[in-house]
Amino acid sequence: MLIEIRNLTKSFQKGDETITPLRDVSLDIDAGEFVSLMGPSGTGKSTLLNQIAGIDKPNFGTITVNGTEITTISRSRLAKWRAANVGYIFQTHNLIPVLTAYENVELPLLLLPFNRAERRRRVQIALEAVELVDRASHYPRQLSGGQEQRVGIARAIVTDPKVVVADEPTGDLDSATSAHILDLLQRLNSDLGTTLLMVTHDAEAAAIAGRQLRLDDGRLIDDTQQKQSLITTAEGTANV
Amino acid sequence: MYKFTPYLVKTLWRHRGRTMLTVSGSAVALFVFCFVGAVQEGLDRLTSQNDSTLIVFQANKFCPATSHLPQDYDQIIRKMPGVREVVPIQVFTNNCRASLDVVVFYGVPAKKVQKIRDFELVAGSWSEFKSNQDSGIVGESVARRRNLKLGTKFSVGEVKVTVAGIFNSTDQSEEDYVYTHLDFLQRTPGMNLVGTVTQHEVLLEDSADAVRVAGLIDDEFRAGPVETDTRTKGVFQASSLADLVELIELSHYLGYACVGLMTMLISTTTFMAVQDRIKEHSVLQTLGFSGSIVFALVLAESILISVGGGVVGTGAAMLTLAGSGLSVGAEAVTIAFSPSVGLALTGLVGSLAVGIAAGVLPAVAAARADIINGLRQA
Repeated sequence: MLIEIRNLTKSFQKGDETITPLRDVSLDIDAGEFVSLMGPSGTGKSTLLNQIAGIDKPNFGTITVNGTEITTISRSRLAKWRAANVGYIFQTHNLIPVLTAYENVELPLLLLPFNRAERRRRVQIALEAVELVDRASHYPRQLSGGQEQRVGIARAIVTDPKVVVADEPTGDLDSATSAHILDLLQRLNSDLGTTLLMVTHDAEAAAIAGRQLRLDDGRLIDDTQQKQSLITTAEGTANV
Repeated sequence: MYKFTPYLVKTLWRHRGRTMLTVSGSAVALFVFCFVGAVQEGLDRLTSQNDSTLIVFQANKFCPATSHLPQDYDQIIRKMPGVREVVPIQVFTNNCRASLDVVVFYGVPAKKVQKIRDFELVAGSWSEFKSNQDSGIVGESVARRRNLKLGTKFSVGEVKVTVAGIFNSTDQSEEDYVYTHLDFLQRTPGMNLVGTVTQHEVLLEDSADAVRVAGLIDDEFRAGPVETDTRTKGVFQASSLADLVELIELSHYLGYACVGLMTMLISTTTFMAVQDRIKEHSVLQTLGFSGSIVFALVLAESILISVGGGVVGTGAAMLTLAGSGLSVGAEAVTIAFSPSVGLALTGLVGSLAVGIAAGVLPAVAAARADIINGLRQA
């Protein structure tokens, strides 16, 4: 098991109100899985994603990724862990505007013990994977929204992380570009075996994942298993 | 950290207007700081001169124009124990009060100038000076300030001198003086000073006790025709510059105020840069940048701005000090404003310290910022 989440609860204070977007959530994700996470706004999808990415901490519960329990390690060790193990794809791309596409993709590699030649090789591979080698020297302002997101994806996979998380990766894109990005994510999963966890509002986008989860009132529902059991039940009824 | 240099430089360049203005402000502050430092260094050089030289002045007189000692006192002083050499000096200045353009003439027996001073002629010749009564050798600072060339005739008041040489000296305040023949200065029209001098400069043996010899000299002439007041050269010069010393001490605070201002300016700019980039820093931390790396990046920005201003300001101050030959003087003693390696290093190290001091708080704020809140920023 690559990711093991046990009894995860996250709550925070908003004025006088205590909001609990995650309530006793448990989840296992295998290496190489492509999991989508759906649910209405404010149900805690991004909160769960951020817990798995190690940029937020739960109130209760544990998250173990590849044998490391990330909920108990210090902030500085967690940063090192993120650099080596997590790729993050943002909804709004969040490229560094003063850096070229090449430099943006190279950025996470600067934190790891790679020499310049190795960094160049890895950036080249990542840019080839998102078909943007010819835009390497372009700045974010010189790229379209879709191209920016592809650079963001290249940045997320360049370190060959254990898990890539994507927070509404198509939320800022038109439908044609969204389809292209989703196709790219699917290929990353199938061709490179990248473990992907994607948060989305879009049911069509969620459907491309091998496993679809839904957050409802702080609790996690596995739609894939429900569909599976419905199919099994229907088949059983038919046989009777 | 060098791996992040492109990011650092490009980040500063992104807001180049703000960066340039801050660097310029820092440069101006460091320029003033170095200027104040140069004045202080000049004063320190004058007042800390070693105790092996005494100045014998007329008692209860302060301006060179009013001190008149018999020239033949030198014969009596020469015979005192511990005295190596005595040089009678007639001093003439265009202004006894504090001024930024004091010209001071030292009338000295021509053959003794080389014995008592370490001057090196950068133009002209000693023989030309020694053989012409109305000639003078001019310090480089005066020559630069007054645009004096070899052979130039110039006059200050009734004193008219031809430049026979231009010298430099390890004692930079000497470069603000003009040395002439003693009898020439004594015979200046309207002065009628033959037989008297302004002061005697007494060079002591290495083993001599300066205070004791000074006491001996003053005791000797207490009952003589003109009473003397003898002090070491450093004390004499400090006393001549007493009024200026207070002003210079005060100017210290101006220097410190400039450094304080520079710290505030850079700190404000760095804080603004951090507030502009809350989301960017959160993105960096999401990618795996630790709080300490973000801290170091912000601190490095602050240091780059500060040291940039430091290099420009200190460099400009050194060039100005070297090229202008500025000095301030009172009662025929001048403080040379001159550049020095120590001053340049103080400016640069100071700018580095300011960069660190100014950057710490913004860097801590950036490093401790909550990642999730940062990512929510527009």
